[in-house]
Amino acid sequence: MLREVAIVGIGQTKYTTTRNEETYEELIFQASKLALDDAGLSPEDVDAVVLSIAPEALFGLDHPENWVVGAGAALNKPVMRISTGGATGGSAAQAGFFHAASGLFDTVLVVGTEKQGDTPDTQLILNKIMEPRYEIPFGLNAISMTAFQAVRHMRKYGTTQEQLALVAVRSRANALNCPYAHLRAKHTVEDVMKSKMLVWPLKLYDCPPRSSGSCAVVMMAGEKAKKTGRPLAWIRGLGATSTTYYIGDKLSGTTFNEHGEWDELALAVKSAYRQAGIKDPSREVDVAEIYAPFTIAEVCAKEALGLCERGQASSLEEKGHWNMDGKLPVNPSGGALASNPIAVTGLARVAEAALQVTGRADARQVGGAKTALATAIGGTYQFHTVMVLAS
Amino acid sequence: MKDQVAIVGIGQTDYEVHKPHQVLDEIVFEAASKALADAGLSRDNVESIAIAAGDEIDGRPISSMLEACPAGAYLKDEIKVTEEGSYAAVLAALRILSGVFDTALVVSWSKCSETDVTRVTGYSAEPFFTRSCGLNYLSAEAMMLTQYRNLYGLPEKAAAQVVVKNRRNASRNHLACFRKPVYEEEVLESKMISWPLRAMDVAPLCDGACALVLASAKKAKELTDKPVWIKGLGWAADTYYLGERDLPALASLRTAAQKSYSLAGINDPLAELDLAEISDVFSYRELLAYEALGFCQPGQSSELMAEGITEMSGRLPVNPSGGSMSGHPFLAAGLVRLAEAALQIRGEAGAHQVDGARLALAQGGYGFCGQGNSVFIVGA
Repeated sequence: MLREVAIVGIGQTKYTTTRNEETYEELIFQASKLALDDAGLSPEDVDAVVLSIAPEALFGLDHPENWVVGAGAALNKPVMRISTGGATGGSAAQAGFFHAASGLFDTVLVVGTEKQGDTPDTQLILNKIMEPRYEIPFGLNAISMTAFQAVRHMRKYGTTQEQLALVAVRSRANALNCPYAHLRAKHTVEDVMKSKMLVWPLKLYDCPPRSSGSCAVVMMAGEKAKKTGRPLAWIRGLGATSTTYYIGDKLSGTTFNEHGEWDELALAVKSAYRQAGIKDPSREVDVAEIYAPFTIAEVCAKEALGLCERGQASSLEEKGHWNMDGKLPVNPSGGALASNPIAVTGLARVAEAALQVTGRADARQVGGAKTALATAIGGTYQFHTVMVLAS
Repeated sequence: MKDQVAIVGIGQTDYEVHKPHQVLDEIVFEAASKALADAGLSRDNVESIAIAAGDEIDGRPISSMLEACPAGAYLKDEIKVTEEGSYAAVLAALRILSGVFDTALVVSWSKCSETDVTRVTGYSAEPFFTRSCGLNYLSAEAMMLTQYRNLYGLPEKAAAQVVVKNRRNASRNHLACFRKPVYEEEVLESKMISWPLRAMDVAPLCDGACALVLASAKKAKELTDKPVWIKGLGWAADTYYLGERDLPALASLRTAAQKSYSLAGINDPLAELDLAEISDVFSYRELLAYEALGFCQPGQSSELMAEGITEMSGRLPVNPSGGSMSGHPFLAAGLVRLAEAALQIRGEAGAHQVDGARLALAQGGYGFCGQGNSVFIVGA
């Protein structure tokens, strides 16, 4: 990479089920203002804007990027909208990085919002992302597609429902320290096990909430960022991998990978680690904000990221390895199990990672965190993004 | 701007009103494959993918789930943008400029035969006021033209001449679907659909896909001895609210053009450009674009048209490919304009080649009344 880029400002709103009192524009404005204020900047200082906006079907207006030009500080400026399903926030952060790293822009605002509380049923819509000729009629949705991941992982590695429940327990407890988090609770494993079975083995508490809310980050070219005197979260590495669409393409021994094995993420993070000079992630990564909308997703992600061996994430969970006081805290913010504002869940991971490495994560701070990961996931575990941030 | 990013591969499908024998995946695959073959690159060797698509045109949420792999993205770093085709090229160029990637495959498409595009454009109208008024891309454009009429008079004849010019040009573009020449009278007598827009003032929709391969300077020199360099680029968006815009001024197009001219070192576009491929999504829009691009003063575009400046034989041929009047693959149109500009620079535009083309402009637009626009300057 030729030009260094750092995050100089961050804004998030509280994540709740609905945001009925505000329009889409107002939500974009809120996060933009928070991030710009945080960076000590005004809208005129923004050279380019990247919008992080998820499928319009979750919102009900096509090309919302057109509507929010003014609210997103983009009037008469270069602006583009990124849309990669659930990975949108991660892809948008990457696009923002490329704007600054290109040398054409110094200050880039990356902002998005989710307002899925405006739809009656997110899963009804997420059924429609499936392949229309065969998969939609099966009633596939985000929960059932994730069940495939869980079933394979349990079969191959002996992962148990109780082990998965620990992910939910840790995430929602961590969320108690995050002022923006949606679902904050002290579950027990028993609470999770008793929650309603939705699609075996996934129960209600294994699943994310439907969240609405906004997030924004301000990125700046390195030279200019250093002159601000502000705490800087450097983007040291990034990678992304898209893969096959069809659920059936991961159901045999001859395919690139199986459900439960996120080799696409392993491929993406290889680039990120190489760029960041990380050789032993299980030692060199201090904290990870992983987009895991379901408990099993976090297990698969940690293993693919090389934070532990394949199949080992759950036994490490039992030893408290991923806890706030563990060796490698995961999702101090609570992650997507606590708040899942789909369009920006991936961007919030970047924001949280940036807060961690600059020591600004308040009650959810991992002491001495210098190197963090932020991931995002979209489609049927089809689009993977990962970013390495460091102070 | 130094020669840092070049177009090294171009692929287009035929544009047809209806491609009943291919599903969208196959159309996308065809364009992507052609671009790779043209660049002499295998899919294995392309490092990044950028695609532009719209869920509302493709008819499904997260349409890139279905189309990313036909566009070449299997196990690749891929990002999707939604404005329109040229924006995928913008992002791809930024990715190469960053130094992280040396190559990019850029793909965009639309299968308009499967949707009521006009009606669908209405779903980007905000739901509080304009959705129920029937605002769509036609009625919005009509309002803009009413404003233009109030300022400068309605250039009906010049608009008809745009259609005649572009359809005549299209007769020499074997990929185009509307290639039969038309007469001014036909345009002026075609059915009024949204005053002042007549049926033939509206670019006819079609199915098709377009793809480009972009490369860094280092890689471009390895791949081809005819790289088409990106000399300048710019993009911008105006406010969404039509009532707050000086609509006919197409401010975002003017801004995008100025940025691209500045990077390319262009002071007098009319004199320095050899051709321009621009949006004629509506006949009048091409005229308004002459003004916003600085080819003439505001209000003077009909004179420019009448003088024949933008004809193939004129000083600055506009839309030698036939533009969208030859077939409008809606969301992909801006990428098609860029592909055509690149073909011209390479001297590979066949029967619609502009002789000696060395510097070209390509433009793509989106949103009601061209709310957003991108401009590329490409050259030898």
